Amino acid sequence: MSYYAGIDVGSLSSDAVIVDAAGGIKGWAVTETGAHSTNAASAALDKALERAGLRPDQVAYTVATGYGRAAVPQAGKKVTEITCHALGAYTLFPEVGTVVDIGGQDSKVIRLGENGKVVDFVMNDKCAAGTGRFLEVMAAKLGVTLDDLGRLSLGAEGEVAISSVCTVFAESEVVSLVAKNQPIPQIIKGLHRAVVNRVAAMTGTTGVREQVIMSGGVAKNAGVVKLMAERLGVEISVPDEPQIVGALGAALLAAREDAV
Amino acid sequence: MSMPSIPSRAEHLEAWRESGGKVCAAFPAQYPKELLWAHGVLPVEVWDPPLAATRAPGHLQPYICSVVRQGLELLLAGAGDSVDLILFPHTCDSLQNLASLVGDYLKPAAPSLFFYNPKAPFKAPAREFYLDQLHALDRQLAGLFGPRAQGALEQALEWSRALAALHAKAYKMRALGELAAGAGEFYAVLRAGEYLHPTALIPLLEGWLAQSAGSASAGERIVLSGVLPGPPDLLESLDVLGLVVGNDDLLSMSRRLLTSPPGTGEPLAALGEVFLHMPPCSTRGSSLEERLAWIKGLAGQSKSKGVVFVEVKFCEPELFDLPELRRGLKEAGLPSLVLEVDVNQAAGGQAATRLEAFREMMA
Ligand code: SF4
Repeated sequence: MSYYAGIDVGSLSSDAVIVDAAGGIKGWAVTETGAHSTNAASAALDKALERAGLRPDQVAYTVATGYGRAAVPQAGKKVTEITCHALGAYTLFPEVGTVVDIGGQDSKVIRLGENGKVVDFVMNDKCAAGTGRFLEVMAAKLGVTLDDLGRLSLGAEGEVAISSVCTVFAESEVVSLVAKNQPIPQIIKGLHRAVVNRVAAMTGTTGVREQVIMSGGVAKNAGVVKLMAERLGVEISVPDEPQIVGALGAALLAAREDAV
Repeated sequence: MSMPSIPSRAEHLEAWRESGGKVCAAFPAQYPKELLWAHGVLPVEVWDPPLAATRAPGHLQPYICSVVRQGLELLLAGAGDSVDLILFPHTCDSLQNLASLVGDYLKPAAPSLFFYNPKAPFKAPAREFYLDQLHALDRQLAGLFGPRAQGALEQALEWSRALAALHAKAYKMRALGELAAGAGEFYAVLRAGEYLHPTALIPLLEGWLAQSAGSASAGERIVLSGVLPGPPDLLESLDVLGLVVGNDDLLSMSRRLLTSPPGTGEPLAALGEVFLHMPPCSTRGSSLEERLAWIKGLAGQSKSKGVVFVEVKFCEPELFDLPELRRGLKEAGLPSLVLEVDVNQAAGGQAATRLEAFREMMA
């Protein structure tokens, strides 16, 4: 039996997925990228293999994706995160029409056609506004963990408007809101709104076709997902493991590649 | 197949000056270069001078495009004192504004001339207006450098026709997949026309076309639109990623290089026809319908499957048309990608990823 690996080296996390020839997920891992993309890719792959109970020599083909894809020596092929996210999402949700991915340092909106093919996409990767990094900086300023942001914002009674989408300016805005004793959950909801507005604006060029899927680390934040659904006026589905959608797409492409 | 040897700007200018020629710093985009040649003046175009922008940003609003910013940087570095003339065509409000700033405050040693292109060249009064502009410029040049020699304009029109024919040949070969040159090489050779005198440019193009006949590389074919081809790393990415430019709709290139003056009629009137017959362009007030039909035609001729817009950040004329153009292209089954760049700054890895994803999307 042959197995296939997909490795997604992002700016903050490196993720790996192992699938069998039928596309079934055998193992996966999410690790921190740190300062060395090649090491991070290997660490993610090793962990995924360990979970799958497989040895490296049982992997017939590997596809790498993500911004660090060029630094993955195991990969037979490198494919962009747009194509991999689309395929991963289409496999998990065959009705998917739009993928909204908010990662650590970039965000993207991908429009898919009926057959799961990418028909349009837009990426924001030049600025931290509208990315996980924005929320990470704000969580640190507010003294809460990233994982708590969603829960806290869902319990907010009201919302404080954050006027800046720039991470640097929003950070000082948050400092002065805290100094004015504004309730933390309301500030968090305002911050979520800022991220959602920024990313939702990207759908202006691509359009939105249902079913809408959210992926990336920020999709784990139920507060952001709820506001995004309200803003786009659609229901949003989130995969069980939103961070491995790109790596899954890459692993599926690896299986296809080997079949050729 | 191989990159021809192209004299550098500095070498060519030095040789030109040594032969007693005058030099004009010409700002973008459309101006009657034939008239300058006829007066013995070599236009050297100022699109993206390779300078670190240290002084210009202090004088301009942050949302002014990098073409204007780099142009001002060049003038602040003293270029206006080492040429014989500066020419500002009225291409857009930003350039118009730069022209006023330079005239009012900078006052370089070289005289500055303004050239007003009519904004709706398809209407009848535009021909008259443009001809008046040509006569005025002719008089101004005569005032500065003496009357043009007998037959000089006719000779300049001959060069112009030869160049338009060579450019058209290069575009046709490329559209048909019969030019063995990648984007980097194609634009490096054609951009030599931004400073080479036609007597040097014509043989360069002839030689290059003769040795570049051959099959284009395989890949996904696209139309490149926007202001300028570049930055260089972006052209390199196109070549490396297997995105083959089948045609272009670039302001500095096909929107102005392929139109030839008629071989008959009064020379200044013939020259006027060049501008009046240029392809649709955002800076000339062309309608969206015309632009859309034009770009669709370019894609059709070259069997291109998508359009990549490389837009200079903050370029008002270009960016204004973009959403409607993209919508129309999408309806016609042509996906498009927009990359915003600053001239003289590498487009970077993110632009390369977008291009790669666009290629994967079209495959
Ligand atoms: S890039 Fe656009 S705004 Fe800038 S000078 Fe050219 S036409 Fe004008």
